[in-house]
Amino acid sequence: MTHDAGEPPIIELRDFRYTYLEGTPRASEAIRDVSFGIRHGERVGIVGPTQSGKSTVVDAFAHLLRLKPGQVFYKGEDVAAPGYDRSALRREIGIVFQQPDSQLIEDVVGADVAFGPTAAGLPAGETRRRVEESLNALNLSYPEYRLRYVHALSGGQRRRVAIAGVLAMHTPVLVLDEPMAGLDPRGRRELLELLIRLQSDRDLTLVVCSASLSDASLLCDRFVVLDGGRTVMDGPVREVLREADRLAELDITLPETVNVVRELQELFPDLPADILAEDELEVELLKRLGAA
Amino acid sequence: MLELQRNVIFGQFVDTGSPIHKMDARIKLIATFVFIVASFLIDSFLGFALVLPLLALIQLISRVPAGYVLRGSRFFLGFLVFILFFQVLFYPGEVPESSYLWRWGFLSISTTGLYTAGILGLRVIFLYYVTTMLMLTTSLVDLTNGLELIFGPLQRIRVPVNELVLVFVIAIKFVPIFIGEVERLARAQTARGVPFDEGGAFKRARRLGRLLVPIFISGFARADLLTTAMNTRSYRGGRYRTKLRQLHSTATDWLMLLLVVAWMLAAWQLPDRLLS
Repeated sequence: MTHDAGEPPIIELRDFRYTYLEGTPRASEAIRDVSFGIRHGERVGIVGPTQSGKSTVVDAFAHLLRLKPGQVFYKGEDVAAPGYDRSALRREIGIVFQQPDSQLIEDVVGADVAFGPTAAGLPAGETRRRVEESLNALNLSYPEYRLRYVHALSGGQRRRVAIAGVLAMHTPVLVLDEPMAGLDPRGRRELLELLIRLQSDRDLTLVVCSASLSDASLLCDRFVVLDGGRTVMDGPVREVLREADRLAELDITLPETVNVVRELQELFPDLPADILAEDELEVELLKRLGAA
Repeated sequence: MLELQRNVIFGQFVDTGSPIHKMDARIKLIATFVFIVASFLIDSFLGFALVLPLLALIQLISRVPAGYVLRGSRFFLGFLVFILFFQVLFYPGEVPESSYLWRWGFLSISTTGLYTAGILGLRVIFLYYVTTMLMLTTSLVDLTNGLELIFGPLQRIRVPVNELVLVFVIAIKFVPIFIGEVERLARAQTARGVPFDEGGAFKRARRLGRLLVPIFISGFARADLLTTAMNTRSYRGGRYRTKLRQLHSTATDWLMLLLVVAWMLAAWQLPDRLLS
């Protein structure tokens, strides 16, 4: 972990509650009580089953909801306070949404990726450089894809364009909502590697939302588990994974290795429950087999 | 903008379990039809004033909060005022010289123009209100069944009733889905730096233009998906289908309809009788 515990959180939710269409007959309560803070440089996974409130929490980070004051803070400032500069906040927090189509603004790939930097008032040369850099980072070669129509691309390509559009803004915080959905195994692996690289290169604060722990466990060092609009667990990845039974109860997909370990525990009751990678499992198994 | 569903409630269904919700959908549809006819026949402010208590009564019994309906009609009412403004300014009818209040070239404001625009406005509001209330209090299934049963006899002369009703209901129910879609897009684009929640009305309206292409694309994709879904489930028109929910009309339903008819007749005829 790259942060020290005494540092104040960059993003903080305090007793966060949210009801969509509050005060109307169609009101629906999405968040009942969520409190947690994210420090600079942390890699946090927000996990939970569907309808647990993950996407609402993401929207709250960039003040995309009708927030009440005193609940959501960025760098210690209340984002819902009157006069708070929301545009500046949104230039700091980049969000990749679940459906990539919703956040594509321009018709052509190059123009879409350039949208953020242009809106932020960057000079044309710098914008062009960022577009090229972001597209290349996502394996969409700049000369080939620059002039392609966004809506003629495949779902996986559109997702990558959406991610490139957010990367080009060079935000210190990057939030991805179900980034692996709709990607094939190769696309997943590439995205995973890219995110890990970016996080260390750019000193990013990374937040990943997912209903599956398999991708998130390789990317994050801390999990916040939501259920029914409440925080039910919050801690380092291994600590959370130790309560695998509770996670399985919540309908959260566990990493394959954790499932294997759970089965193997019937044979080796002393096998630690917080094994993440296959290599670790091999070492632990060899130890026990050697002993036998 | 970020919660557009508050401001556009057309096509929504709010189940409060009130007596109006429980009424036979056919009776509600016929009553709505009576209201629509009445809205064209009534042509005086007094007539519309007579209608008002009945609408208030319906609102009260339906238990749908009046504030919700009013706020949900904000966009619609704003648009109506905009249109009526031009209706007054370009009033094309015969205007006696004495009724002009202001004149400049072909633009004018006259008492006759104001009166006509006022009646027209009330008529449209009345129409909008009764259709909105019908949808707020009738579920999609009941609405479809009711329409199919009412127009069923037309099938004898080869009118494709089921298909027409299906298209009508899908069109209406698409409005809330569409609104939800606009909301989702606006939220995602706000995150990328198009501030939908800031600036004046004109600026906001111009930003809406950016949503048009993605909205159309998602609309077509949705229609495509719906067609495929119906085909894979072997959808065929209603003649071959049995229904789980049967509609039943009670004596109260018919009494309600009678009340509506009598009230509308009174609102149409009474003002003339009283004034003559």
